Amino acid sequence: MAKDPLAEAGLHFDELNKLRVLEPEVGQKTAELKDECKEFVDKIGQFQKIVGGLIELVDELAKEAETEKMMAIGARNLLKSVAKQREAQQQQLQALIVEKKMQLERYRIEYEALSKVEAEQNEFIDQFILQK
Amino acid sequence: MRLKTSLLKDRTHRELVSCVGWTTADELYSCSEDHQILRWNLLNGETSVVVNMQDDIYPTDLHWFPKTSSGKKQALAEIFVLTSTDGKFHLVSKTGRIEKSVEAHRGAVLAGHWNYDGTALITAGEDGQIKIWSKSGMLRSTLAQQGSPVYSVAWAPDSDRVLYTSGKQLIIKPLQPSSKVLQWKAHDGVILKVDWNSVNDLILSGAEDCRFKVWDSYGRLLYVSSSHDYPITSVSWAPDGEVFAVGSFNTLRLCDKTGWSYALEKPNTGSVFAVAWSADGTQLAGACGNGHVIFAHLVEQRWEWKNFQITLIKKRTMQVRNVLNDAVDVLEFRDRVIKASFAHSHLVVTTSLQCYIYSVKNWNTPLIFDLKEGTVSLILQADRHFLLVDGGGVYVFSYEGRLVSSPKFPGMRADILNAQSVSLSNDTLALRDKTDEKVIFLFDVQTGKALGDGKPLTHKLEVVEIALDQSGPASDRKIALVDKNRDLYLTSVRRLGREHSIIKIGTMVQTMAWNDAANLLSGVQDGQFTVWCYPSAVFVDKDLLPKTLTTKDGSEFSSTPHILSYVGTQVTVRRADGSLMHSCVSPYPAILHEYASTARWEDALRLCRFAKDQTLWACLAGMAMGSRELAMAEVAYAAIGEVDKVQYINSIKELPSKESSLAHMLLFSGHVQEAEATLLQAGLVYQAIQVHINLYNWDRALELAVKHKTHVDTVLAYRQKFLQDFGKKESNKRFLQYSEGVEVDWEKIQAKIEMELGKEREICPSKIKILQTKKKHQSNSLLN
Repeated sequence: MAKDPLAEAGLHFDELNKLRVLEPEVGQKTAELKDECKEFVDKIGQFQKIVGGLIELVDELAKEAETEKMMAIGARNLLKSVAKQREAQQQQLQALIVEKKMQLERYRIEYEALSKVEAEQNEFIDQFILQK
Repeated sequence: MRLKTSLLKDRTHRELVSCVGWTTADELYSCSEDHQILRWNLLNGETSVVVNMQDDIYPTDLHWFPKTSSGKKQALAEIFVLTSTDGKFHLVSKTGRIEKSVEAHRGAVLAGHWNYDGTALITAGEDGQIKIWSKSGMLRSTLAQQGSPVYSVAWAPDSDRVLYTSGKQLIIKPLQPSSKVLQWKAHDGVILKVDWNSVNDLILSGAEDCRFKVWDSYGRLLYVSSSHDYPITSVSWAPDGEVFAVGSFNTLRLCDKTGWSYALEKPNTGSVFAVAWSADGTQLAGACGNGHVIFAHLVEQRWEWKNFQITLIKKRTMQVRNVLNDAVDVLEFRDRVIKASFAHSHLVVTTSLQCYIYSVKNWNTPLIFDLKEGTVSLILQADRHFLLVDGGGVYVFSYEGRLVSSPKFPGMRADILNAQSVSLSNDTLALRDKTDEKVIFLFDVQTGKALGDGKPLTHKLEVVEIALDQSGPASDRKIALVDKNRDLYLTSVRRLGREHSIIKIGTMVQTMAWNDAANLLSGVQDGQFTVWCYPSAVFVDKDLLPKTLTTKDGSEFSSTPHILSYVGTQVTVRRADGSLMHSCVSPYPAILHEYASTARWEDALRLCRFAKDQTLWACLAGMAMGSRELAMAEVAYAAIGEVDKVQYINSIKELPSKESSLAHMLLFSGHVQEAEATLLQAGLVYQAIQVHINLYNWDRALELAVKHKTHVDTVLAYRQKFLQDFGKKESNKRFLQYSEGVEVDWEKIQAKIEMELGKEREICPSKIKILQTKKKHQSNSLLN
């Protein structure tokens, strides 16, 4: 086949008889490559987005886990201190009980004294009546 | 009594509060480590920042300049001293402006306190020094220096001594450099706070050994508390010295002056670093470790009299309960109740502005009058009047609300009078002086003037307690006093020209009280509960006194009892542990007193015969002899088996003249001088001489004989006889001298004596007749 002089000059015609600098085959391949590249970029982008979402989610989870952990620690400490608090409260109540007991003892003594007075008075009245 | 606490929630300090101080009864200043001074107004519950101080001032103590009663120092009354950790003290005005800052100590200043009249300021520091400053902040002197920090200081009541802490020890140092320092180990831990009350002169200390103790001013331990859970961080006396407050971690305690605890509160405050009482003694504030300021006021005080019981249920409300029918009345007041007293069928209540007088017959319409000065510190009642004591003076009011008098003596300090140093009866007021505790001032209640010649009654020792009897005529008024040795003395208030004869009637008397209606005295003597049924017996017949006592075992009253009241037949005693004891006394002595005072001797005799009680007979004997009822006295003495006395009374009855029987009655009571004076006044010289001869009082007999130039030979004759009987030789120079010229002739002497007696009979013929008829009767009865 005789060489196309145009082709030698680097000029080609495509099917639509338009003048081209590249060979139609090459041109076609290039276009194909371009399309493929675009597709690839899109896919990568999509992937990044998905991964980003994932990371965010995991971060959130981590945070939540952290707070839960702190809460757990707090609760545990609280539990420990409650025991102590109870002890302190118990001590306070004990002190108040002792105080009340002392007051009760005072009232008991007073009551006994008054009972004695009553007995004495009754005795006196009896005596008085008998003597009359 | 109880504390009602409250915490104002809305605003607090951000750091621990270190000190608090009251300006009026409703306004408090507090200082905190957040460098703020806050003002708390209790009337409207508001809190405002007075000032934000510099950041390097960490306050440790504040004390308001004392309000003095004399008006001229008013300008200075509006400042307080604030001590801080940077070694300075600051004089701060009410508006919060720092008037003056003075470099005082190396290290922190830990305490600062004005003395009672505001003329000096004392500061104590970490460097162990105690310095005294003038009112304006000039250094006067360094009182003491020691190796350890001084945590707390307090002034003595008369501002001439200072109490301070030194580790576990307490030290009382007089301002006079040469005077003796009192020092004792008080606690097992470092002492953190001390306080010294001006009214009862007692010392309080709180320490890291978790105990608080009460001491008297000689350093004797009166009370030690049980161990608390945390160190005692604050102690403070109420101004009237009846109660005190103790602060510790989450703890506020109210105690009686004898130490037992009225109430315990466990507020959520952290440690209470300081406690301050308002001037009227009804409220207190505590500086709390968590930035709060806790307020508390006293409620549920109780007063009892016969069948009524009164309780202060709220600040301004009292509840009266009649125990007999359970009727309840509620008394409302316009202001806060400060003091109340309930006795002699009247209730006297003082608020900050007014005085209310209720009668037990009518609880609805009190008598109200305004008070000059708000803070009444003491109310005392007698049957007809009552006494109010405030910072300015003492005032006697009638129950109609009329001012009767306001007695005064030079140098009187009314603010430190307490129930032990004042006593009121219907006609007399007695006050023990503070500057010289041996002296008792006596006043006529009606006029407010000193009794008699105005000279006060002076005892030989310091007097700790006085009490006037409550009934009987004013001329018979007696005062009982207990001195420092705990001896009980009795003397009459109106002395009628004679010197006070102060007669001892008891020893080891811890407490005493007169009956409200009859002149019976009750007391606890050497562990025995004793009633002196007729204390005046000592003036009539000293030997009779022990017979007029009724005693009961007092072991149930424990160590240091205090008689609160003796109303009717009921004695109420407060034990050292705070419990009330009631004891009943026989009603007969009181009835006997009534009969004797109204001269119903027949009834008295019948009562004694009915009761068959030796004590009662002894009382009757004393009373009858006191009112010269010889017949009654004879019966009574016979009943208690005092034969010698009966005989003497009989001999008195047979005396020919009124004067000599009077003289012999005086002799009976042991008043030899008065008897002699009576006889001499009546011209009965021989009888006076004979009295002395009978008493073997030879010198005086001879002196009288020589002075009146009669009966010298009689005296000599009796003396000779006496010497012969005892086989002695004359050694008295005067008798030797007179016996030289005089010859003893018994017959002549007998004749002379007969003549004298005859003369006496002539003076008083009417009595002789009675006597003669009596003698006839006697001889007749003897013959029959």
